[in-house]
Amino acid sequence: MSRAASEPPPAAQPTATASADAGAPPVVECDGVVRRFGKLTAVDGVTLHIPRGICYALLGPNGAGKTTLSRMIGAVLPRDGGALRVLGLDPGLEESEVKARLGVVLQENLFDDDLNVLRNLEIYGLFFWKRGPAFRAKVQELLRFVGLEEKEKMGINELSGGMKRRLMIARALLNDPELLILDEPTTGLDPQVRHAIWARLRQLKASGMTILLTTHYMDEAAQLADRVGILHKGNLIAEDRPDALVAKNLPRWVLEFDALEKPVCVEALEKNPDGARYERHGDRAFAFHADEAPLSGWIKQYDLRTALVRPSSLEDVFLKLTGRALDE
Amino acid sequence: MSDPANAPAPVLRAPAHAAGPRRPPAYRRVAAVWFRHVRVYGNFFVANATPAVFEPIFMLLAIGYGLGAYLNKHQFNNQQYAAYMAAGLLGVTCMYTAAFEAAYGTFIRLRFQKTYEGMIATPLTRRDIFLGELLWCGTKGALFSAIVGAVLCLFGHVRLPWGLAIPFVGFLCSAAFGGLSFVVTSFVNSMNHFQYYFTVVLTPMIFFSGLVFPVKDLPDGMKWVPLSLPLFHAIESFRLLVAGPAHASVPWAAWCPLILLGMCIALGALGVKRMMGRL
Ligand SMILES: Nc1ncnc2c1ncn2[C@@H]1O[C@H](COP(=O)(O)OP(=O)(O)OP(=O)(O)O)[C@@H](O)[C@H]1O
Ligand SMILES: [Mg+2]
Repeated sequence: MSRAASEPPPAAQPTATASADAGAPPVVECDGVVRRFGKLTAVDGVTLHIPRGICYALLGPNGAGKTTLSRMIGAVLPRDGGALRVLGLDPGLEESEVKARLGVVLQENLFDDDLNVLRNLEIYGLFFWKRGPAFRAKVQELLRFVGLEEKEKMGINELSGGMKRRLMIARALLNDPELLILDEPTTGLDPQVRHAIWARLRQLKASGMTILLTTHYMDEAAQLADRVGILHKGNLIAEDRPDALVAKNLPRWVLEFDALEKPVCVEALEKNPDGARYERHGDRAFAFHADEAPLSGWIKQYDLRTALVRPSSLEDVFLKLTGRALDE
Repeated sequence: MSDPANAPAPVLRAPAHAAGPRRPPAYRRVAAVWFRHVRVYGNFFVANATPAVFEPIFMLLAIGYGLGAYLNKHQFNNQQYAAYMAAGLLGVTCMYTAAFEAAYGTFIRLRFQKTYEGMIATPLTRRDIFLGELLWCGTKGALFSAIVGAVLCLFGHVRLPWGLAIPFVGFLCSAAFGGLSFVVTSFVNSMNHFQYYFTVVLTPMIFFSGLVFPVKDLPDGMKWVPLSLPLFHAIESFRLLVAGPAHASVPWAAWCPLILLGMCIALGALGVKRMMGRL
């Protein structure tokens, strides 16, 4: 498949480690997993498999069940149905052992606010019964890894949001996890910090780490993930490589414009002329097409000032698959 | 504040995982919870110990000696009033220590600080966490009863060497009340609801379990009430240590430590089970 220069970056290929372990069982085998809270079915029969060494991104609107699913995989929350194996173990039966082999970055930054950075890591290590000189060296290595080596004596409340997030990541790595579960690792952070975190995560992946990433950022998924799953109302409604997910669900090009600017144009494109596909999300209108030419043509034809023709992205797919429900 | 966004991250060594289980054994996991509490709350030890230690001392001075001066023609379990109160003060210290820790403390960690949510993502199970909590409650009770016991000893109300066993009874008493408070906490949705527990359950226990007056002076139909409560058995166990069997409230007082142990295990198991369902 040849790519135009302006196409989205290709998804990262599975690392060497992943292909070497191709015969090994998946790190996560989740078959028809169900979780209910009272009358609400938060996770409604999800089936997904995560092979060793890849980064799997879980996307989905608020309340889709992402955190609930990762908590079940993380052996924190019992499931109500389905089969689940993590690192070959059943989290329901071997809760402690599964958790001993995972690293978890929770959606919320939870620390002991009364203790400084170093003490927080030491206490957390103790929960894995990690201590002694080798562990202290590991703590220093990880503080360097996330760029907090000079902050070890600081109180938790003196840290910025980005530093707390990086500290969460360092903490999750204390036990040399075989699977890293990240629940929205960069939500609410500035672009610099996000890029810094992505760099660390890419490096972890290159070292063979398997990662389950929950995120609301499509660029984060596109940057890091080998596979993307879209969770919607507790169901996995789509799953594939990021580029394949776009190719499968939408024509290659999209014209994006302000729906309020030219009602004439909206009216015309709503009829899906020339094989185009019209969608609207809020005030933004989208016309998808396999070719760039007709889209550029419409810009000229309707004199659209704020319009933009670009390759279809993961975000477009996400809106297409989950967007209608949001408007409900 | 420089964020090393573009600086290359230092390379991490790829870990080599030994075969076999990686989880710590259960006793270490429980111990880890206990260590965590020692680490985090150790800093506030003096602040926490202040009410637990000074209140009984004030009660001894004001009620034991002050009011007791008017009662000196009378004997309480064959003792002067101040000496009689000593065992009860130890019991109340342990009761309140555990109740505050396992009611307010646990609720705050559960709801506001979300301490357990962070802990449950590690090899710790729900059972480990709350067993560790109970152990911590017992430890605080052992420490505070030891301090109060030392003060009572200065006043001459503790016989030695039996008094050296005060922390053991203190541990059992606090663990029992830790378990009871867990049961309450597991039902509570707002911290305000603890008022009921403290006012309707704990306060009457203080007044009618042998701290203020001997239980034999209760009306006949009411004598069974304190016998069914953990505080009575805790106070009677303390009384065996500090005053001796000659001053016991009931002829079978030698059984009280065992009954306290039984209540401690039963309430502890029930409380831990209830809290496991809440997390
Ligand atoms: N402990 C709980 N008790 C009751 N309901 C819950 C609980 N945890 C989650 N839910 C419900 O389950 C649904 C899924 O929640 P979940 O936190 O998994 O969503 P999410 O995809 O992580 O959302 P977000 O993107 O906002 O983090 C929501 O409707 C939520 O209200
Ligand atoms: Mg979530």
